[in-house]
Amino acid sequence: MSAPTVPGGRDAIPEEELHAFVDGQLAPARRDEVAAWLAGDPEAAARVRAWQAQRNALRAAFAEPAPPDPRLDLMRIVETRMRRRRLPWAAGAAAAAIVLALGLGGAAGWMLRGGPADRQAMALSVLEQEAFATHAVYSVDKRHPIEVGAAERDHLTQWLSNRLNRRVAPPDLSAAGWRLLGGRLLATERGGAAALFMYDNAQGQRLSVVMRPMAPDLATPEPQRMGGAVNGSAWIAGGLGYAVVAAAPHDEISAVSKLVRQQSPAA
Amino acid sequence: MAGPSVMAGMEACIPALRRYAWALLRDRREADDLVHDCLLRALDRLHTRRTDAELRPWLFAIMHNLFVSRTRRARVRAGTERLDGWHEATLGHPPGQEDHLRWKDLVRAVGELPEDQRAVLLLVSVEDLSYAEAARVLDVPIGTVMSRLSRARERLRRITEGEPAIPLRRVK
Repeated sequence: MSAPTVPGGRDAIPEEELHAFVDGQLAPARRDEVAAWLAGDPEAAARVRAWQAQRNALRAAFAEPAPPDPRLDLMRIVETRMRRRRLPWAAGAAAAAIVLALGLGGAAGWMLRGGPADRQAMALSVLEQEAFATHAVYSVDKRHPIEVGAAERDHLTQWLSNRLNRRVAPPDLSAAGWRLLGGRLLATERGGAAALFMYDNAQGQRLSVVMRPMAPDLATPEPQRMGGAVNGSAWIAGGLGYAVVAAAPHDEISAVSKLVRQQSPAA
Repeated sequence: MAGPSVMAGMEACIPALRRYAWALLRDRREADDLVHDCLLRALDRLHTRRTDAELRPWLFAIMHNLFVSRTRRARVRAGTERLDGWHEATLGHPPGQEDHLRWKDLVRAVGELPEDQRAVLLLVSVEDLSYAEAARVLDVPIGTVMSRLSRARERLRRITEGEPAIPLRRVK
């Protein structure tokens, strides 16, 4: 590169910065400095112009939108994956292949083959996806978020416990400012039964607690954080998967998770 | 992890992943196979992803790794240095107007770049990844990204020197 020629005698601009100039990766102030420097160095300016033209041409050349491909529908992939849970990179390694098969009885919960870590990750992943989907569908329903209201708490507990073939009860989250609205029965991906308890707070926000049967030997010690705009946590204890989901900060989710854990039979 | 926002974020990245895969492979079917595998692997790995990590570079990194291992396998099978898709796809294009020829020249020139230079050039120029993100995707130091970018651009410049620019179209 030729010597600096800009008035004021600043050092030559390193080539890295010329690329960053072309790619719009310089801070505005530096960008102006580089532009000023280029004005005094025709050779470097020509090179930068060539790079810019190349960049534009490349973007144009690859701009052709791809024809739709139904295989790349993300929701479909997630569903297929939930139906037939097999890790692509583990294919061929029979011992590592993970096969999900829910038992016929609710209590049987999950049966997975594979390494313990894989099984746990899978179990949590399914739990999360179910919990987020459940929250997305029911929490926005103004009139019918639940089937059985908090006024019939005993009936709700009895009914869901019967259907899940184990005792599940709505935790008391009033200490964290959440009031029980009620609950409903959910279908899991493989036709098993799960329970949803829905809560709201003084601001009218809603929070979902999902419980579903899991293989008795699956357990994750600590709630795993998940989410973005909607947050959640999920864990497995005593043969039940638990998930807490709400459009609330992680701190609040943690506080609620703690309350749920304190009140669950496995605690 | 697998919250609705992550799903929406992944969905939004699919067009870019398909474009990059196509640019790498030059075969629509193979490219979409690669994207499909990438999405599957990403879904299976959501748990290992840091919640504050940027989704786009993370997905590109997964796809790039799949591409590299696939290319290696293809080479072993074919005993050749380069994927043939590039040449078939570019040479298979019917010659037409001037613009088309220049487009072809540029695409062919990109195809003739060494694979590592091509990847950097596409990630930075077409996919708008920052240099740091491209470095993470390719798992190389940022200095390597810069030198590959520099070599790729100079090489393309020499190949296409003197030709007027290709008409602009907007990249989605």
